[in-house]
Amino acid sequence: MEDSYNKTAINGLDPKFKFEVIQAGGEGLSACYQCGTCTGGCPSVEDMDYTPRQIIRMVSFGMREKVLNATAPFICASCYLCQMRCPRDVKITDIMAAIKSISIKYSNSSGNTRGQAFYTSFNEIVYNLGRLFEPMLMLKATFRSKESFGYKIKYLTKSVPLGIEFIKHRKFSMKPKKVESIEEVQKIYENVRKMEAKE
Amino acid sequence: MKYSYYPGCSLESTSVEYDISTREVFKAFDLTLEEIPDWNCCGASSAHSESYLLSLALPARDLAKAEDIESTVVAPCPSCYQNLKRVKEYVEKSIENRDRINKALEGTGLKVEGKVAVKHPLDILINELGLEKLAEKIKVPLEGLRVVTYYGCMIIRPDGSYTFDDMENPMTMDRITLTLGASVLPFTRKTRCCGGPVMVNNEETALRLSYDILKEAKEADAQAIIVACPLCHLSLDAKQPLIEKKYGDKVNLPIIYFTQLIGLALGIPEERLGFDKLIIDASGITAKYKPKKKKSNKKKTTAKAKSITTH
Repeated sequence: MEDSYNKTAINGLDPKFKFEVIQAGGEGLSACYQCGTCTGGCPSVEDMDYTPRQIIRMVSFGMREKVLNATAPFICASCYLCQMRCPRDVKITDIMAAIKSISIKYSNSSGNTRGQAFYTSFNEIVYNLGRLFEPMLMLKATFRSKESFGYKIKYLTKSVPLGIEFIKHRKFSMKPKKVESIEEVQKIYENVRKMEAKE
Repeated sequence: MKYSYYPGCSLESTSVEYDISTREVFKAFDLTLEEIPDWNCCGASSAHSESYLLSLALPARDLAKAEDIESTVVAPCPSCYQNLKRVKEYVEKSIENRDRINKALEGTGLKVEGKVAVKHPLDILINELGLEKLAEKIKVPLEGLRVVTYYGCMIIRPDGSYTFDDMENPMTMDRITLTLGASVLPFTRKTRCCGGPVMVNNEETALRLSYDILKEAKEADAQAIIVACPLCHLSLDAKQPLIEKKYGDKVNLPIIYFTQLIGLALGIPEERLGFDKLIIDASGITAKYKPKKKKSNKKKTTAKAKSITTH
């Protein structure tokens, strides 16, 4: 089976890429008949480089590099509108998340450093605290991204008034809350990483 | 009635008013909320970006802890609600799935069976408590208040085996708001995404989507937007000054949680509902519907609720 797939690999296409995406949670991929209902309803499509319909087709074709470097999956706001409306029951939003996870794993999506930085920071905080502390996520994600120093300063300065409002309205304490049995949460992360390495 | 309560990370920080108002409203109807002990983050939409299995295994720990309490889990945050519901449905689907999740939980001493239901407060209030019981407790009918209801994406999507409302045109929050005596204006962006999840890594898209919602609500002549999601609230309320600046449009529209609105109609003092935590001032509304000392409007509101339930 694997061999015959390898033989069909042409022009740098990776015929196994679709299985990689399905394995990462992208169910229903092969059922897509390209009607474009997903793209028609997508609220953020105008900011994407490829439309959701195109992304699905590119995955099926095995255009691995192009898909992993696309900005579209990181612009997707995970609103699930496409997935809900899909007449073929393709899990489009889950496919977008699957692409993000593969892209972060190989860290080769040059155009999406902010997106990568955000998700990596999120998991780092949950690993360490068991719960999310939103101000910390914002700071971490901004500093981790490969944006220029100037951009970071501009972004953070712009966020200062919001931070002041939060403090003024006593929205949160300055001390993050932590899960008492944090070792349980960390154990889950480690188990998952071990299981996925095997699969 | 007793429920397991999963507040989630947002409800103990940026949307603490959603937490306190939910607790107040449930208490008013003698519905007990027992917080799941030592719960952890559900993974939101970010855990899936590390791994699919992780996005199931993180909420599985919470679900397993709720199974010890053996009662329905209530999760007000739509993202938490979806994640908990998703792992429940995944575990129920097959023995292989259940074993896979339990393998991920190995070493924590916890096991998940998928035997407790996961529900949203809207679902509980409409389908378990019922609008008539809600109407009976109304002390300050919100007559004359014009609002739009904004559901966001996650409450009724994605389509699992269990949904409590229409996916394209949800009505639960409308029916509750009407029961309280307020009027609900037509609104086409009820389930249009607010852009919240991409707020940090793609601010441009996020602000545009939020502005579309605010603009339509303003044009509909609403006095407030009623919401049920911490991230929608953050995008529309806390980010509103930023949106106003970017688009040069003075919106100034209070964004209120449906639990706060219910609490207001029940005559619960505003400070116990967290109205002071809202960034966009809602005192114009709370001042108008302050609890009155005597006088009871019971009969009138019950009659109104009946006409709505049949509608």
